[in-house]
Amino acid sequence: MKLTINNLTKTYKNGVKAIDNLNIEIGTGMFGLLGPNGAGKSSLMRTIATLQSPDSGSIFFNDINVLEDKMALRKVLGYLPQSFGVYPKMSAEKLLDYFATLKGVKSKEDRKKLIDEVLEITNLYEVRKKSVSGYSGGMKQRFGIAQLLLNNPKLIIVDEPTAGLDPAERHRFLNILREVGTNCTVIFSTHIVEDVKELCNEMAILNGGRILKHTTPMDATNELEGQIWTKTIERSELDGIEANYNLLSSNYNQDNSLNVRVYSAEQPSDDFITTDPQLDDVYFIALKEDQIETV
Amino acid sequence: MFLTIFKYEMRYWLRRPIFYIYAAIFFIFPILISSSSAGLFDNITTTTGSTRIANSAIEIFEMFNAMLVIMLILFPSIIGVAINRDYKSEMHTIMYSYPFTKTNYLFAKFLSALVIVSFIILLIGLGLIIGFRFPGTNTDIVGPLHIKTYFHIYFIYLLPNALLFGSIVFAMVTFTRSIIAGFFTVIGLLLISGLLNDILSGDDYRMLDAILNPFGGSASNYYTRYWTPAERNTFLLPFGKVILYNRLFWLSISVIIFGFVYKYFRFDQNAISFSFKKKKGERVTKNNFGGLTKIDLPKVSFDFSFFQNLKTTWKLSNVDFKYIILNPIFIFIVVIAVFALFSELSFSGSFFGTDTLPMTWKMLQSEDVLGLFIVISTFLYAGMLVHRSRIANMSHIVDGTAIPNWTLFVSKLIALIKMQFLLLTLVMLTGVIYQMYSGFYDFEIGHYMFELYILNFINYLIWTLLALFIQTLVRNAYLGLFIMLAIFIGIDFLSALGIEQNIFKYNRGPFYSYSDMNGYGQSFGLYLIYKFYWLLNGILFLILTRLLWVRGIPSSFKERLQIAKSRITKNTVLGFSVVLIAFIGLGYRIYYENNIANPRRSAKENEQLRVDWEKTYKKFENVAQPRIVAVNANMNIFPNELSYNADGNFTMVNKTNESIDSLFVNYNTERSTIDFNRSHQLVSKDTVFNFHIYKLDQELLPGDSLIMSFTAKSMENTFFRRFSPVVSNGTFINNGAFPSFGYGPGRELRDNKTREKYDLPPNKLRPHPSDSTALGNTYISKDADWIDFETVVSTSEDQIAIAPGYLQKEWIEDGRRYFHYKMDSKILNFYAYNSARYEVKREESDGINYEIYYHKAHAYNLDRMMAGMKDAIKYSENAFSDYQHRQARIIEFPRTAGSFAQSFPNTIPFSETIGFIADVDDSEEGGVDYPYSVTAHEIAHQWWAHQVIGADVLGATMLSESLSEYVSLKVLEAKHGSNKMRVFLKDALDRYLRSRTFERKRENALMYNDGQGYIRYQKGSLIFYALSDYIGEESLNNALSKYVEKVKFQEPPYTTSIEMVDYLREATPDSLQYVIKDMFETVTLYDNEVVNTSFEETEDGKYEVEIEFLVSKYRNNDQGKRSYFDEPDSSLSYKTDEMEEAKESLPLVDYIDIGVFYENEDGKKDVAYLKKHKITQINNTIKIIVEEKPVEVGVDPFNKLIDINSEDNRKEL
Repeated sequence: MKLTINNLTKTYKNGVKAIDNLNIEIGTGMFGLLGPNGAGKSSLMRTIATLQSPDSGSIFFNDINVLEDKMALRKVLGYLPQSFGVYPKMSAEKLLDYFATLKGVKSKEDRKKLIDEVLEITNLYEVRKKSVSGYSGGMKQRFGIAQLLLNNPKLIIVDEPTAGLDPAERHRFLNILREVGTNCTVIFSTHIVEDVKELCNEMAILNGGRILKHTTPMDATNELEGQIWTKTIERSELDGIEANYNLLSSNYNQDNSLNVRVYSAEQPSDDFITTDPQLDDVYFIALKEDQIETV
Repeated sequence: MFLTIFKYEMRYWLRRPIFYIYAAIFFIFPILISSSSAGLFDNITTTTGSTRIANSAIEIFEMFNAMLVIMLILFPSIIGVAINRDYKSEMHTIMYSYPFTKTNYLFAKFLSALVIVSFIILLIGLGLIIGFRFPGTNTDIVGPLHIKTYFHIYFIYLLPNALLFGSIVFAMVTFTRSIIAGFFTVIGLLLISGLLNDILSGDDYRMLDAILNPFGGSASNYYTRYWTPAERNTFLLPFGKVILYNRLFWLSISVIIFGFVYKYFRFDQNAISFSFKKKKGERVTKNNFGGLTKIDLPKVSFDFSFFQNLKTTWKLSNVDFKYIILNPIFIFIVVIAVFALFSELSFSGSFFGTDTLPMTWKMLQSEDVLGLFIVISTFLYAGMLVHRSRIANMSHIVDGTAIPNWTLFVSKLIALIKMQFLLLTLVMLTGVIYQMYSGFYDFEIGHYMFELYILNFINYLIWTLLALFIQTLVRNAYLGLFIMLAIFIGIDFLSALGIEQNIFKYNRGPFYSYSDMNGYGQSFGLYLIYKFYWLLNGILFLILTRLLWVRGIPSSFKERLQIAKSRITKNTVLGFSVVLIAFIGLGYRIYYENNIANPRRSAKENEQLRVDWEKTYKKFENVAQPRIVAVNANMNIFPNELSYNADGNFTMVNKTNESIDSLFVNYNTERSTIDFNRSHQLVSKDTVFNFHIYKLDQELLPGDSLIMSFTAKSMENTFFRRFSPVVSNGTFINNGAFPSFGYGPGRELRDNKTREKYDLPPNKLRPHPSDSTALGNTYISKDADWIDFETVVSTSEDQIAIAPGYLQKEWIEDGRRYFHYKMDSKILNFYAYNSARYEVKREESDGINYEIYYHKAHAYNLDRMMAGMKDAIKYSENAFSDYQHRQARIIEFPRTAGSFAQSFPNTIPFSETIGFIADVDDSEEGGVDYPYSVTAHEIAHQWWAHQVIGADVLGATMLSESLSEYVSLKVLEAKHGSNKMRVFLKDALDRYLRSRTFERKRENALMYNDGQGYIRYQKGSLIFYALSDYIGEESLNNALSKYVEKVKFQEPPYTTSIEMVDYLREATPDSLQYVIKDMFETVTLYDNEVVNTSFEETEDGKYEVEIEFLVSKYRNNDQGKRSYFDEPDSSLSYKTDEMEEAKESLPLVDYIDIGVFYENEDGKKDVAYLKKHKITQINNTIKIIVEEKPVEVGVDPFNKLIDINSEDNRKEL
């Protein structure tokens, strides 16, 4: 199973180049698409999900030419948009039946079986008679997963699904997604590095419509082994550090001192100590390098 | 803070393109309306009449108010949006936590929206002003600009109305947080206001109606309803007490509604719910922290086949259908609509207070009431459904599923169709329930279903297809709705721009019409052809909808076009082409049929033709012609083939003193042939006017006779057009089908301004009765006096055919049925043929045969009609002269041929609607028994037309119609008592006063009338009834019988109204001679009023009643301008301190009824005193002693006189 994207470009009416000559190949399993807000993640995902046409380029999923034969892709597509609403005053059960019908599940019995199962999986069975518009954020996201499963999809696209969820909900959500993603392609966009770390066997960092890095979480951190340095400083020293070193991140400690992380092939100075690279470091390095290039 | 929000709101509107679109439309539309009413488009279409000033205050008021009604539809999208925007953008979650008070917030929101609305209304006024003075308008019909009038309307009516409807919409949207609710509220308000109008339409409720009408129209109408044309042209709008009350009432309602919003509005995240049971709160905790679930989806089968998609379409449509009908506000409006239906059913079709039986076709007519609601709901919900998933933010999920586009939009279409079926079903249910409620059990469910689900439905379907396309195109449901309404309303105005043909106006075409006798007849096929034509157009729109359907998130319209292009497949092209070719082909076929095969004339061309007719042939008007003295004709009617053919001959005599060499022949159709028994030549052939001129080789000398033989044939009906008057059941053809002689002035243009434009001299209409040279023809026939008549008429074997005369022989030959009729006395040249599958009711009394030929299902009122015939004959024989026939026959014909009865010699064709299906209520409260009275009227014509016939000069119809009306009133009074008389007279008075306000030419006195219905019927009946009250029925009838004796069956010169009035004058005592002048010679109106009254009990147990009352009268000239004197300086005047202006009157020496009423044992009012008093001044106070305790007094209490305000003639004690 393979999703291949070649030379994909999309420019919006207002001049923003949301996707900039993008090439990528994505295999089976969980694929994390990491990028800051406005990086073009949603544009890319919507384009793959047949909702938007690119200006140029091609997308193939296995032998389906996505841009030419949208219907073929839609048959195997499960898509959860970044934010979505539902028809008011309709229960989860009714709405899922509506979606199952849209997705071509033929018989009433089949739909019932399927809906019961996805409700069970997403732990919404108890509240299946309640109207979805009244669900909490987490329940609604789980409902999103439930509807996505209805056509037994081979390609699953979930756009920033964990934004705004409480830790327990987030955890539960990721678990379900992981289960779902064992034998199909799941593309999962987020701006939270943790999500990718916990979940994905492959990842890419996207900004300004370009793939900055395409790797696995493991390889990415391994690559930086011995090049991440840390130090505890006072707030006033920060500007100096930022000016002299390749500063990746800084975090306050409880005593108002700061922990800074710096990227450097060599030890920057004596008071820096080496530390284990985190996926965050990979992310920040990629974004920073991109920034320098652009400037 | 108020200012901040207010300014922000204003800036928001000023930046929105939609504001400019609205403003532009409500600026341009009024320009179009006012300029076309001021004759701007006269060059491309017909000429606008000349007597009506286009920009008189009352005309401006009507236009301005009508525009506001259209604008109401926008209120939700302006005033509603003002508040709803914050909910929709979820701005309210932030805004409502800001530190401003709800006073600031609500007032700023509401007032800013109101300012926007008021501005647009101001533009309407500006548009009207500009339109009237637009270059090219006819300056003769545009009066000076009274800016005051516009401000009057703006500040007294429109602004308060905007405030009222604005606050209602604002309240609805604030509480429901739904714009749709706002729209339905507007529709509901319009329905309710229509409903109120229906319920309060009676005379007794005029005041209540004036106060309760939310637009203020009825309040103004309270003062202006009887304005004559002259008054309408010159008067400014009144501002009386009733208007003040109305405005104050609704202003306070507005304030209350806004106060209600203010009180209950909360800065709250959730909409206010008005549910009565409070839900119990429940603590919710999470319990889903558990571990992993194994995912093992059950194996199910997927099906993406066409058939499955079709099933899916149906299923999806159910979801959308529920969304429509489960909306509480929708249900609420439906309930109101059902009430409106019911009220329409119970108030429509009532003549003189008598209802029509609830026949199914009549129930179905009420569908109109729901029609507008169905159309607007369709336009609105087309948008709501097309954009539904996007509005709910669910479109990304839906669009990512493997469902084809067509399934999505066809499901929307089906949902809309289901809604329409539901509403149409309501019409049927309401109709059936109403029939049951009226105790009428002849249900025709098949007829209901056919008309509603097929004929009406097609009409809605065609609109739905366009609405779906427009709503797909524009992506904003409200803009889409507005565009659809603009199309829907705007189509009507195309005619004003010279686009007249239905094939260029979406979903327009001829209507069908139904009669119990003849079903849908020919109208049906034509209706369906046009609907099929527009359906093809609709299918084209459906294909375009498919191409433009939005799937996913196209970033620009350009991209949508690209997508549309990529969706064009071979099949699309093929399908579109086939439908397009069919559409254009059918369109061309209709065009060909209406324009090329059969010349179609635009209204303007028709106007030109009338000019040509007059200019070419008027010169022959007075050339002597021989006159028809005998007619012998064979008429063959073919009800199955819908055709007739006829042949026959006219015997003609030169009754003049000069020789005749030219014959001017009008013939009916091009398929006629004409021949004479003398050698002749055709010297002028005109197939446009069907007018030939023949020259006789040898002059026809005075006294010589000539025989003309002719054949006539109906023109052939085509699939598209109907030319033949023959229908399958209920044919009614009159002698217009046969040739006639001489120039007919009936085609001449009548409006003098229009005539001036075409260089024609002013039109006299008809000569004055004093013109002794104009008395040679009757007003019925210009080429004959009295004739012998004999005819053979044939029809299909199952039908009966009737013509005037006595049946000589009836036989069947070759499967056709023949009837030979012959008249034994002279008749006017005025006869007709009827044929249908009739039942016959026969009676005989006093040597006269009475027959009614009726449609089998219409046997409801035969006895009443029978009695009407007998009583009228008896009355007329006693009062005037003998009946000239031994037979009287009534023959029913379909309502599709008209709603009238027409009296031919001993034969009266009678429409099915004006008696056969009346639901007469004989109780005291019931209305007039019109099957009886109309029959009596038609029978009276056997005297007043068929014995006494006036010359074709002014006032001729007084001799026929007014006197027939008088006879009908008298027999009605004898049979049903004088109580029913009041119903009749009151109705006649109101109709007379209302109709004369629409006069476009001139209103003459009764004896010089131009033939207007409201004069010859309504005023005529009032006057002859009043005259019989003044001089006594017997002396009136004596005078009339002397007159009949003198003039009946006379040869020319014919009698005139002058001659009759001379007889009447002779029978009138000197003291009452003024009555003849007031009633016959002038247009004179009274304004009588009881001012004060009181009573005291006298010592001997009687009562002394004191009455103070005013009597005044004035004359109107033919334009309705008042005058108070015949001799200068003779008018009376009266004024008290409380009166704003003096009351004036003609000099009075009048005898007026003064009445005192008491309450009898049954609790009903009865006459205690009724006498005519001689009145010589305006203000009078008299004392009357009565035996019974008085409860009410009155001046002219029975409304015998023509009184401009008949309601203040009585006063209760």
